Amino acid sequence: MATFKIGKVVLGSLFKKPATRMYPVVAREWQDRTRGHVEIDVTSCITCGICQRKCPANAITVSRDTRTWEIQRMQCVQCGACVDNCPKKCLTMKPEYTAPGGEKVIDTFNIPEAPKPAAPAAPAADGDAAAPAAGGGLKCDTDSCVFCGLCARNCPCSAITVNRDEKQWTVDKSACVQCGLCVEKCPKKCLVIE
Amino acid sequence: MGKRTIIPFGPQHPVLPEPIHLDLVLEDEVVVDVIPSIGYIHRGLEKLVEKKEYTEMVYVIERICGICSFGHGWGASASIEGAMGIEVPERAEYLRTIWHELSRIHSHLLWLGLLADGFGFESLFMHCWRIREHVLDLFEKTTGGRVIFSVCKVGGVRKDIDAATLKEISDTLNALKPEIKKLTDVFLEDASVKNRTVGVGVLTKEDAIELGAVGPVARGSGVYQDIRLTGNGAYHELGFEPMIEEAGDCYARTKVRIRELFQSIELITKAVELIPEGPIDVPVKGNVDGEFVLRLEQPRGEAYYYAKGAGTKFLERMRVRTPTNQNIPSLVKMLKGCDLADVPILVLTIDPCISCTER
Repeated sequence: MATFKIGKVVLGSLFKKPATRMYPVVAREWQDRTRGHVEIDVTSCITCGICQRKCPANAITVSRDTRTWEIQRMQCVQCGACVDNCPKKCLTMKPEYTAPGGEKVIDTFNIPEAPKPAAPAAPAADGDAAAPAAGGGLKCDTDSCVFCGLCARNCPCSAITVNRDEKQWTVDKSACVQCGLCVEKCPKKCLVIE
Repeated sequence: MGKRTIIPFGPQHPVLPEPIHLDLVLEDEVVVDVIPSIGYIHRGLEKLVEKKEYTEMVYVIERICGICSFGHGWGASASIEGAMGIEVPERAEYLRTIWHELSRIHSHLLWLGLLADGFGFESLFMHCWRIREHVLDLFEKTTGGRVIFSVCKVGGVRKDIDAATLKEISDTLNALKPEIKKLTDVFLEDASVKNRTVGVGVLTKEDAIELGAVGPVARGSGVYQDIRLTGNGAYHELGFEPMIEEAGDCYARTKVRIRELFQSIELITKAVELIPEGPIDVPVKGNVDGEFVLRLEQPRGEAYYYAKGAGTKFLERMRVRTPTNQNIPSLVKMLKGCDLADVPILVLTIDPCISCTER
């Protein structure tokens, strides 16, 4: 009597709480891991643009000239590629979804100018993760460099080339975004961003 | 011979969640020929490999389909890993297997609901989807997404599941078993449901093999075929055996999927017991230079992934062949000779996913 079985299930639901929620009166409970929207900590962003390049949905636009970070909320697919690849870890994924609406939301954030280092000639010796100043460039003190290649392997933009045999260290300045990852990873602390 | 009439079926039709068009050639009420046509939802995702780095391409490939999205993410990652010669940690393989089987449960529950909707059993449809919500909640808790998970990456998985949550997954599924059984009994025993499925759309074993049927369609016709037997992920350690039914009709295909539902719960319970400790990913360096072919058993059947790199950060070619693509010839064969009223049920029993087919 399978018909009776479904009858019991159906009649049983009359006396149970509804399986659905009275949205939007009853708020949705978010899980800790829910990928809802991307948030940015503007104080540590260095406008390197890696998030823009990695975004599969082309939802992020970073402008170094106007120092803005822009995200098209309706275009973002919440994959988290930007969060994973951000060298300064200034992007985070938060649980709440963007509110539904008739218009495509674009959020623009202004990135404050990075503070100029107090003494540019003497950068932090411990590989400080402070945002490097815009302008200038990445330099290597080849006297103390051991040409280990860690900087090249960790460079998110493949801007550094290290030739161990010929003891050569080169940086493609057009590709370098001065994220400072190489400076942090360098075991001999021979890299500086000026 | 009666007068022939052509009835267009789709691309918009109540039983079709996605657009496919069938021209049904009828003699009286009997279908004598079928001309399928696709092309309503092509997005050209494979072409994007030329613009998206291979690490990010995984997130594009998994968006081929909203139901087997985990499998597509796994297939894309594993084919790239194969081309690069990367060995994935064992824990990551187990986690992938657990998520993949959860996908199968939610896919089959969704399909059962659609089938119930197809023959007009609305309350059964609603209850199947009510249970599916519990599985989606487990997905959200462990991956952060309900439909698109983005947990697979080249080199492993992005998120771990702690022991307490693994136990919760296994406990929740085992607690759902009696509820699922109450509903599946209706599909298997209710006389009015059986009238719509038993003996309808028979696909013989020979036809299934000849037409290259895959997944539950092939297994419902008695073909011993399941890519999980080849031991992807952790299947080789879980003692997997495919579910086979011999009749080849709609009822057999439904029964295969129902048996697979319970089997998936068993596989997850076993995987939770056996999952080893350890890392969940390995660092990935360099670019893809080589090619690799991988087959994976999606909820709908065998999917095929081909990745080819050319030494740059972009792949040269990514090819995905999905199960529905393979099952359309079998569908055409099944439809010939059936009644017009059975067409919606028959179209549903191959579990068509047109987004997958057209990519």
